[in-house]
Parts: sequence; C-alpha cells; structure tokens
Amino acid sequence: MIPDYYEFCNSTKIVSGTRALEHIGYELAALGASRPLVLTNTQLLELKVATLVLDALADTEAEVVGVYQEIPVDSSASVVDDVARAYRESGADAIVAVGGGSVLDTAKGATIVLSHGGTLMEHRGAESLLGRRAVAFIAIPTTAGTGSEVTSAAVIKDTERHVKMGFTSLSLLPDVAILDPRLTVGLPARLTASTAMDALTHAVEAVSCVQANPLSDCYAKAAIGLIRDHLPAVLDDPQAPAGRLALANAALMAGAAFSNAMVGIVHAMGHAAGGVAGIPHGDAMAVLLPHGMAYNTDAVGDRYGELLLDLAGADVYASTPADERAAASIATVRAMLDMLHTTAGLSVTLGQLGVLPEQIPDIARAALDDGAMSMNPKQPSFEELVGILKGAL
Amino acid sequence: MAGGGWRTKRGRKAVAAVVFAVLGRGLVAAARLDERVRAEAGAWPEGTVITLGIGPFGPQVSWRAGGGMLEYLGGAEVEPTLAVTFKSVDGALPLLLGMKSVLGAFAEHRATVTGDLALAMSFVRCLHIVEGYLFPDLMTRRILPRPAERRAGHLIAYGALVHRRARLEGASS
Ligand SMILES: [Zn+2]
Repeated sequence: MIPDYYEFCNSTKIVSGTRALEHIGYELAALGASRPLVLTNTQLLELKVATLVLDALADTEAEVVGVYQEIPVDSSASVVDDVARAYRESGADAIVAVGGGSVLDTAKGATIVLSHGGTLMEHRGAESLLGRRAVAFIAIPTTAGTGSEVTSAAVIKDTERHVKMGFTSLSLLPDVAILDPRLTVGLPARLTASTAMDALTHAVEAVSCVQANPLSDCYAKAAIGLIRDHLPAVLDDPQAPAGRLALANAALMAGAAFSNAMVGIVHAMGHAAGGVAGIPHGDAMAVLLPHGMAYNTDAVGDRYGELLLDLAGADVYASTPADERAAASIATVRAMLDMLHTTAGLSVTLGQLGVLPEQIPDIARAALDDGAMSMNPKQPSFEELVGILKGAL
Repeated sequence: MAGGGWRTKRGRKAVAAVVFAVLGRGLVAAARLDERVRAEAGAWPEGTVITLGIGPFGPQVSWRAGGGMLEYLGGAEVEPTLAVTFKSVDGALPLLLGMKSVLGAFAEHRATVTGDLALAMSFVRCLHIVEGYLFPDLMTRRILPRPAERRAGHLIAYGALVHRRARLEGASS
C-alpha cells in the first residue's frame, strides 16, 4: 500500500557489531572532527559503560575536550543551554552522546542551540529548523529501546513551566549511530524487557499510524521479527553479545520506523500515565500495547493480520485463517507480556504499576491532548479512553 | 474566481486567501460563540499571535489573543508567537477546501510549526471545530476526527452563508 503522499528520511550512518566502538576515531575523522565533547551521566561512568567509549576515544587522534556528566533523567532546557555553553567554552567540534533517551535528547537540543544561536526555547516547533547542523554528532545508545539514535525528534522539559516540549527536525538526526553489544550486556532483565516492549510498541504503532509507508513498514516489521527471535534468549543468557546486538538493532529499526510513521494511542496513553502517575515509559508501553491494538483493530484493515508473520513466525501465520490473524497478533502480544511477567517481572496491569482508579480520568484527559493521539488511525472519545484504561487497570 | 481559477498558482493562492479570510473571521466568531473554542482560546497567553500561512510568498491570516477574545489581524505583517506554515499552496488547498484534515496535513509533512507544539495542538482543535461549521457534513465526516458538533446558532448561520456564496461563485465561474 503506497500512501497518497509520504516522506521518509534516515540519513544516520549505522555502525553496528562486535567492537564497533573502536571505529569511533575513524568516524570522527570522516566527519572532519577531532575535538569531541562527550555527554553522558554519572551512573554510566560508574557502571564503566561510558568508560568503554572514553577508552576507545583514547586510542585515536581525537582529543576529548571534556566529559559533561551532569545530565539528569529528564533532559531539560536549562541543561541543554548549559551543555551548549560547555561546548563553546571547550572549543569542541563534535558531540559524542553516550546514554539512553535523555542523554541523546539533551545532545539533540544542544545541537539546535549551537547551530541556530539563542536559547533552546526560541527554537520550538516542528520541521521549522532550516539549514545544516553546525556540529558533528555521534549517538551511542546504552539501552535498546527508545531508538533516539535515529529519530528526528527530541523531548525536553521546559524548566520554568514544567512541561515537556517537542522538537522535530531532520537536522536532529545524528551523523552516526554506534551499536556495540558491550554497551547493553549489563542491562538488568526487567529493564531489558521493558525497553524491548517500548521498541515493539514503536514498531507496531508505526505500522498502524496514518503515515505508515512502504519504507517505514520494512523497518518496523524487521524490528518485530528480531524482538520475537532474540528477547527470550537474551533474558535466558543476558551476556550473549549476538542477542544484545539483535535487540539494539531492533530498537534502532523501530526508531527509524516511527520517526517517519509516528506513534499513536499507546504512546498517547503512556505519556499521559507517565505525567499523571509517574509510570516509567517502557512499563506503560508493555501494559498498554495489547489494549491499544484491540481498540484500533477495526480501523487498521488487515495491518495487524500482516504482523502475525513477524510476531509469531511463518508456521503460525500460515496455519491461522486470514480473518483470525489480527486477533492472533494481539493474543501473541499478550502472551509475550505474560512471558515477560514470569521471566523478568514486568507488570501486566496499570494497577500493578501503582495507577489508582481515581487517576484514570486525568490520564484519559491528558492522553486526548497528547500529540501522538492525532496520528492514531482512530480518534477515541473521552469515555472510550476511560474504558480502555479501565480495561488495563 | 480571481486570477484564472485553479489552473494557475496565482489563482490557487487567491482561492487560499479567500478561505483564510473566511476561516479568520470564523475563528474569531467561534471564540465568542462556541464554548469549546472559547475554552481553548481563552487559555492562550495574553498577547499570543498565531499566524496560519503559506510560505514563502503565499497569503496568510493572523489572530491576536487578549481578554479571552480573538482579534482578527487579516494578512497584516506580524511577529507570531506560533506560526503554522504550509510548504506550498498545493499542499494547503486540500485542507482549506475541506478535503483533508489539519492533522492529515501535518501527518503528510505539508506544514511546519514554529513555536510551542502544545499551543499548536490547541489551535488545531479550534480549526477542526470551525471547519465543522464551515463545511457540509459530507466533507466533515471524512476529515474530522469525530462528527462535527455545531453548538452555536449564529455560527451555523455564518457557515450557511459561506456555503451559499461558494455555490453562487461556483455557478458563475
Ligand atoms: Zn516509546
């Protein structure tokens, strides 16, 4: 199915595999940069994850001009402006961001300020930043979930008004993303499971949202297949580099898919549950994905039916009658969540995550206002949303 | 219609300018008469200026929020707090003529937003409501998230007037 009109961009160079980090010197040189500022957080330095990157950089012609490690869990506008100041003062010519979504989004914000001047707040918008980025930018994800290393979006907190601001621009796409299994082998089981479910949700929503297109479909379906094949094995043997690399690739592909095709109702509800009840993003995605799919089923045609091939494999797909495949896809996601409940301790209901029945109306209201809702194939009423959320309680 | 109708880019821009004028006054009226738009626009910070336009040389329309009301600024040069800008007149027309939703246009990357995205969402919700008054059911069923609810009698009359004028102009071109 080719949409009447679509756009697709994934310009980031992917460097993926065994000891991929060791190529960082070459990648910087290829970008014409030699004075990187490394962005990370203290925890990653203590866990010796960011140290892997610093060690790799030590053996290159590049000179690390600074390590900025005060990046909080929620990236904020004031931190972004401070990173930009540190960059200018250090005389850096590149940013190497090592971390999860918040570190990568902070780096994206800093590249906006460094390229366009002023403060971050002055550059809010969607697709409104024109011109080239003035900073070489390498992204090194340390979780396999957000896909931020290949998305054109950043979410950053407005420190004064306490609201999350969205930025989308192709100029936020990093020049290079490096996936090295050494960066994720140490992730605990529960975090491995919840971040993988976030990636799975990116892929499933990318397929069902209004801007799905032939290219985003390829990335999304490949991501789902990798998660199906490798997540149980990684939980069994967390140190296996091949499985870790597969999950990192799945998260990246799902990121490329939703950066172009967008996410929908599951993310809208998840963002809202995060804001109202403080629920971690991946945990919310895991619980809400089957519920969002069930709601969307009648609006997505045979899209969920197609996904059975990727979610459950060729045998199950072939032996399931065409008109039962969509329901079987949802059942497969539920079964996956039950498996992750047993093996990794993931919650299967919002109640287990601490959501109270009286918080449901607030979550529903915030979900209706969330930008992701507008890209969903079907628009729920407030009452419908309350129903979906109660079903997940 | 002016400037050679649909066939020329100038003609299409002239059509867009007419729709902007109708939409511009429609939104001001809705902010007074429809409680949903009043609630949305009433929450916009005092002095907020919103511009809807076609870049870089197309027509545009602006509003200023103040005292819980909206002021129609027409096509005047302003410094907007929020600007929603279509990349081309051809990307804007399906939306302006009720053949595509505002959100559909965003999804297709037809427009850029400069400013606060949360404010942009509120603005889009208002446009949807105004479109519900301006376009007949046959169209709004296809383009709006939910069936149009028309709650303000005066606006229904304004919508009907626009339909009648459009039909007359259609018949004479
Ligand atoms: Zn997500």
